[in-house]
Amino acid sequence: MTIDWRAYETHGFWDELITANGRARRGAGNLTRMLAELTDEELAARRTAAELAIRSMGITFTVYTGEGSGSIDREWPFDIIPRLIMKKEWDNVSAGLAQRVKALNRFIDDIYHDQKILDDGVLPREFIEKSKEFRIECRGISPPESVWSHVCGSDLVRDADGQMYVLEDNLRVPSGVSYMLENREVMKRVFPELFGDYVIHPVDDYPRELAACLRSLSPKRSPQIAVLTPGIYNSAYYEHAYLANAMAAQLVEGSDLVVDSDDKVYMRTIEGFVQVDVIYRRIDDLFMDPEVFNPESALGVPGLMRAWRAGNVALANAPGCGVADDKVIYTYVPDIIRYYLGEEPLLPNVPSYRCVDKEQRDYVLDNLEKLVVKPANESGGYGMLIGPKASKAERDKFARQILANPRNYMAQPMLLLSTAPTIVDNPGKPGAVEGRHLDLRPFILSGKKTYVTTGGLTRVALRKGSTVVNSSQGGGSKDTWVVDLE
Amino acid sequence: MTGQNRILSSTAERAYWLGRYLERADSTARLVRVNSRLLYDLPRRLPLAWQGLVNITGSRTLFDEHFDEPSEKNVSRYLINDVRNPGSLINSLNSARENVRTLRGIIPRGSVEYINEAHIYAKEHLSEPLSRSRRAEGLDEVQAFIQRIDGYLSANMLHDAHWAFLRLGNFIERADMTSRILEAGCKDIFDDASDLEPFTDIQWRSVLLSLDATQSYNQVVQGPVSQEAVLEFIVFNPQLPRSITYSLDSLRKSIRALPRHDRIIQAVNRLRREVAAQELNRMKIAAVETFLDDFQSELADIDSSIRRTYFQYKPRRRRKG
Repeated sequence: MTIDWRAYETHGFWDELITANGRARRGAGNLTRMLAELTDEELAARRTAAELAIRSMGITFTVYTGEGSGSIDREWPFDIIPRLIMKKEWDNVSAGLAQRVKALNRFIDDIYHDQKILDDGVLPREFIEKSKEFRIECRGISPPESVWSHVCGSDLVRDADGQMYVLEDNLRVPSGVSYMLENREVMKRVFPELFGDYVIHPVDDYPRELAACLRSLSPKRSPQIAVLTPGIYNSAYYEHAYLANAMAAQLVEGSDLVVDSDDKVYMRTIEGFVQVDVIYRRIDDLFMDPEVFNPESALGVPGLMRAWRAGNVALANAPGCGVADDKVIYTYVPDIIRYYLGEEPLLPNVPSYRCVDKEQRDYVLDNLEKLVVKPANESGGYGMLIGPKASKAERDKFARQILANPRNYMAQPMLLLSTAPTIVDNPGKPGAVEGRHLDLRPFILSGKKTYVTTGGLTRVALRKGSTVVNSSQGGGSKDTWVVDLE
Repeated sequence: MTGQNRILSSTAERAYWLGRYLERADSTARLVRVNSRLLYDLPRRLPLAWQGLVNITGSRTLFDEHFDEPSEKNVSRYLINDVRNPGSLINSLNSARENVRTLRGIIPRGSVEYINEAHIYAKEHLSEPLSRSRRAEGLDEVQAFIQRIDGYLSANMLHDAHWAFLRLGNFIERADMTSRILEAGCKDIFDDASDLEPFTDIQWRSVLLSLDATQSYNQVVQGPVSQEAVLEFIVFNPQLPRSITYSLDSLRKSIRALPRHDRIIQAVNRLRREVAAQELNRMKIAAVETFLDDFQSELADIDSSIRRTYFQYKPRRRRKG
């Protein structure tokens, strides 16, 4: 039996491909028609082709098992039905993201210099001073172009009304972009014919743009660029190796680097010491330099901060930029945009409640069963309360935590995340097509100029009804097509 | 352009050790297999001294800490599957595996899988207690794995500086092991050496066997197996892949492919000349042993000079305080 789109249920959610009455959304017609023409066997064969491609391309992610060797590599879970976004919509989103990251970089730079925004009372000074991600060691440092977060990954979700919202900004070391690139490669192998039917905007310029962005941070014409990884046991090691390779940059670990008494960074090569001008660091701030931060860190490079402060090396992203992706600071981003750019935000935030404010806190405490509560500084979906799904005991526990440390929490209404048709294996019925919730992580590069990926990484919660899209917790992904209609 | 891509000291070092561990696993398998084979050729009344094998690997003290006597069972366990012996077959394979894990992206994927499989195989099939036939079968299989790994690497890996370091590791280890096997040939392999004249050739035949060189010997020497002829062949023959001369030539070739090699090349050349100058057929057995000992220590000097030059060099100036 082939796919019958009229029988496809959207359950009141916004579906990215199919409208509530079972029709293809504008632009999705060619795709849904082609899928409906495939027999079950043909569809299964395409899925197998995708799995084989992923295996032979060696696309993996690492899962910590907490036992024995500590981690295993799994093949990347991938759904072959792409998610479509119209070019016109994307242009607006893209402009909104560029605006947002520009303001955030201005904000970080201000926080580590004059703190005008605090003097002007736009947000309370103690929020910054109490932020776990505020690095006093970064005060007064002026990185090139005044940019702190060179690579930002913002998470977008679409609510039931079809509006895209920014759920959070990952300004420190966002990952996933390699999967965005690999997904496209897999799709070209699996559905080559569709690339003839559509004008699909390419994504593969990302490594070139990233390299250009990193190069723009050094005054040298041909700077030596290195990608600093915590090593093979890190869950994103695949990506670190992928990007280094695609940029023809050097993949290094902390022990490969040394800061000499001239405050310059060198890597140990078989030809001797070679100076490194730009480091795309994929390790956390606190592990970067044991002389300044965590003295126990074996991943870092003693003296790295010294070299950075002296302007002898550019660090992307700059240490301390996490001060702006604190989830409580997030609630102020619309104000931050207005303050620095004098513009209205092009992309809305998800409406949020600050627990530090008495009135808003009381609302949160009274409505925990309707809200999602997030701690200020966790990522990967950890440490959250999903009110409607939590038990009474869990909600009570969270209420106590909020009262004990209101600064550390914010809450948002439970969004009705949009869905897209996804092939799932139900018991007794493999290969069924059902809606699954998804989000979108575009990547924004800031150097001398700004660049936004065309689309981004679509992450999909493969479990029925789930909205957790993280690959460590049962999430998968889809290719994201930004398409033009002729 | 993002500057030229360099070979990191850390990955070069791992490639070097990968080469050494693979070679060491191979020669360890070889040693035990050959000694087992010797058993069949000897009269029952001649007890074979297994301790010779432990001596070859240079770890007699460690062995004595863990075992009362150098019996066949103890020695083969110690050399094959004992994790307390850093040079055991299983530890060599495990170290090769660990090195290869951190060389992803440099070492071809297929060979990574073979190395993992070899380690798993050895763990599953070479645990004591083992019958002699099971042991022989298991060691043959491990050697076949290593041949496959070598072949795969040679045919698929980029022959760049990483490759040069891998081969460097292979040949340092090989030159060292060959000299140790020759040294063992010089010593009595029987516990009681009286009235054994008819069997002394067996000792040198076993040397040839353990280097897989019997066929080549017959092709080249075309005479009976004798101490002098075997020594000459294994030390000097430039075409025998496990000879000392061949190992040194390969070593030199690999080093030539590397930057900053002048002093190391000089040291290898010096050693090569010293070897060539030996008049082995005129030397007493004790002198041969001294020569082989000296050879090993000069090889160790070359090894540390490689490490100092490429892996462990220090910043030019140290920061004060």
